[in-house]
Amino acid sequence: MFSMELMIDTRFFTVQAVTNLTDHTFIVRVPRRGLQFKAGQHISVGIKGDHNLREYSIFSGENDSYLEVLVKEVKTGYFTPRLKRVKNGQLLEIDGPYGKFGISKEKEDTHKHIFIASGTGIAPFHSMVRTKPQLNYHVIHGVKSASEGYGRESFDPTRYTLCTSRDGSGSYAGRVTKLLEEMKFEPNTHFYLCGNSKMIYDALEIIKSKGFIRANVSTEVYF
Amino acid sequence: MNTSDGERVRAVLEREGFSETLTEDDADILGILACSVRQKPIDKVYNKIAEWNRAKNHRNLITFISGCVLPADREKFLKLFDFVFPMSELNQLPEMIRGYGVATPASLKQQGNSPILPNNENIYSLWNIRPKYSSGFEAYVPIQNGCDKMCTFCAVPYTRGREVSRPSAEILDEVEQLVKQGYKAITLLGQNVNSYGLDKPNTEISFAELLEKIGQLGDSSHEEFWVYFTSPHPSDMDPKVFEVIAQHRCLAKQIHLPLQSGDEKLLIHMNRRHDVETYRELVAKLRASLPQATLFTDIIVGFCGETEEQFQNTVEAFKEFRFNMAYIAQYSPRPGAASYRWDDDVPFNVKKERHLRLTEVLKRISLEHNLKLVGQTVKVLVTGTEQRTPYLTGYTEGRLVTRILATEGSLIGKIITVRITTANELSLAGEPLLVTTAITA
Repeated sequence: MFSMELMIDTRFFTVQAVTNLTDHTFIVRVPRRGLQFKAGQHISVGIKGDHNLREYSIFSGENDSYLEVLVKEVKTGYFTPRLKRVKNGQLLEIDGPYGKFGISKEKEDTHKHIFIASGTGIAPFHSMVRTKPQLNYHVIHGVKSASEGYGRESFDPTRYTLCTSRDGSGSYAGRVTKLLEEMKFEPNTHFYLCGNSKMIYDALEIIKSKGFIRANVSTEVYF
Repeated sequence: MNTSDGERVRAVLEREGFSETLTEDDADILGILACSVRQKPIDKVYNKIAEWNRAKNHRNLITFISGCVLPADREKFLKLFDFVFPMSELNQLPEMIRGYGVATPASLKQQGNSPILPNNENIYSLWNIRPKYSSGFEAYVPIQNGCDKMCTFCAVPYTRGREVSRPSAEILDEVEQLVKQGYKAITLLGQNVNSYGLDKPNTEISFAELLEKIGQLGDSSHEEFWVYFTSPHPSDMDPKVFEVIAQHRCLAKQIHLPLQSGDEKLLIHMNRRHDVETYRELVAKLRASLPQATLFTDIIVGFCGETEEQFQNTVEAFKEFRFNMAYIAQYSPRPGAASYRWDDDVPFNVKKERHLRLTEVLKRISLEHNLKLVGQTVKVLVTGTEQRTPYLTGYTEGRLVTRILATEGSLIGKIITVRITTANELSLAGEPLLVTTAITA
C-alpha cells in the first residue's frame, strides 16, 4: 500500500505583466517557477481553458527570475489578439522547453557569434546575450523602423546594428541582407539566423558566397 | 510504434481478464491507437467512433483512444470517446474501466493507486508493461520515445514529448528473450531512434554501442535473425552505426534515412537541421561501410511554398542517392505543427502530380536495383501469403518485398533461401531453393 502524492500541476503559470512595446508587439511575463531552459529554446504557450497553443522563443535569460516571450499580434489571427488581452493573474499553460537552437557549445569561446534576426526573431538572441553578456557577438536586427528594435537595451550598443528597411531611423538604412553583403567576417565565425524564411534563405546565400559552409550556420525559421 | 503500443495495450487488458475478439461486434471494449502524422488516419478515426457510438444504442460498449493525438482533436475526442489518454498512462486504463463499474477478475484483487509521475518520465511505466506480441516471428521493441527536433511539418514533439531513452539493460533483455523465442525480425523503434542515449550522455550508452551489444548477442547465438531500426534522423546519425552494422551478421543491411526534401531552402523551412551536403556525406559513408545495404527514405512533396524547381531538386536527390524504397507523402497541415499556420499554398492536384512523378522515378530506380538480383540467391523471411494469389510473400534482409513461388504455409516465419527469378518495380519474385514438405503416409 502507498499513499497518493499531491502533485501540483506545473503546466500553469500566472501572468505577471503584459507590456506593449509597439501597437502590435508585446512581451508576456510569468514567474519562472523553476522552468529550466537553454537560451535559444522555445516554449508552447496557451491560455488556460483554450486548447490552442503557440510556440515562442524565450526572450528572457537563463538566469532571470521570470520567463518572458516576445509576441507579434496578428490582428486577423485567433490566438495573439487573445494573448494580448490577458490580464495579470490569468493562467497560461506553458509546456517545454523545446528545440536545439542555441549557442554552439564547441564554438562558444573560440568563435565570433553573428546573430541575424528579422522582427521578433531577435528573441532567442536576446535570451542568449542576457545569459552570456561576455560572449563575443554581434547582433544584426532587421526591422521596418527603430521602434521595432525590441530589447536593444540588453545589447552592447557597439555590438548591435539595427537595420531599418522603411526609414533611416536605425543605425543602418536598408535590409539585413544588404548589410551582410557589405560586411567582412573572420574565418572563425558562426552565424545564427532567426525570423522569416525569405531573410534566412537570402542571408544563407550571402554567407555561403563569403566562403562559409552550411555547418557554420544555425537557423530557426519562424514562418 | 502503434503496433508496439498495441501489444502493450493487449497485455494490460489481458492482465485484467479481457480477451481479444475476432470482430468488433463481439467486443465490449473498442479502442484506437491514433496516428496524427497525416490527416487521413484521423479522418478514419472520426468515421469509426461515429460507427461505434451508433452501436452503443444497441449494446454496452466502452471506447477509448490513445497514441498520437493532437490537442485540437483531443478536445473533440473527449466528447466522442469514453476515455482519452496518452500512452504513458496506459497503466491506468484498468482503473478507468473500473470507474465505469466494470469489474474483472484482476480488479477484485488490486489495492491502492499508482503514483503520478511527472511529464515524459511516465513513459517508463509504459515500457515496463510486457507486451503481448502480435506475431510469432516479427517483433517491435521501443527503445526511445519523443522528439526534440521540431520539424515544422510535425506535431509529434508536442504529442509524444521530449526524447527519453529506455534503459539499455531492458532493451537488451527484451531482444535476448525474443531471440531465444525464435523471432526472426526485430525492429528497434523510436520517434528518433538514433538519438538513443543522447538524453543521458553520462549514464547510458549510445545508439552505436547499443547496436554493438545487440550485434554481439547475435554473434553468440545460433539463431538467424535480423535487427532493424526506425525512424532515425540524419542529424543524429553517427557513421559508427554503419561500421557496427557491417561487423555483425544479425544487424540488417537496410538503412532507413528520412531526407524529406532534396532542396536546401525547403530543408531550412522544415527545420530539418541538416542540409543535402550532410546527407550526401552520410550516404557516402554508408555506401563505403555497407555497399550491399538497401537505402530507404521518407519524402514530403508539396510542402508550404515548394516550387517546381525545389521539387526538381528532390527528383535529382532521388537520382543521386538511388533509394531502393521511399515513403512519399503529400504534405498535409497538422494542427500543432509550426507549419499549420503557414499558407498551404501548393494546390492539391499539384501535390498529387508531384507524388506520381516522384513515384515513377522511384520505381525506375528500384527496378534497376532489383534487376541486378535476378539469378542471385538471397535470404527471405516468409511473412505470409499474398492477398490475391496462393503464393507466399516475405522480404529480404534489405526489406525488399519478395514473392516466393511456393505455397507451403509451414515456411511462414522462417528465413529461407530464394533464387530471384523476376525483378519488378518495388518487388522481387523467386523460387525457394530448399522446400521441406511433410510426407503423409
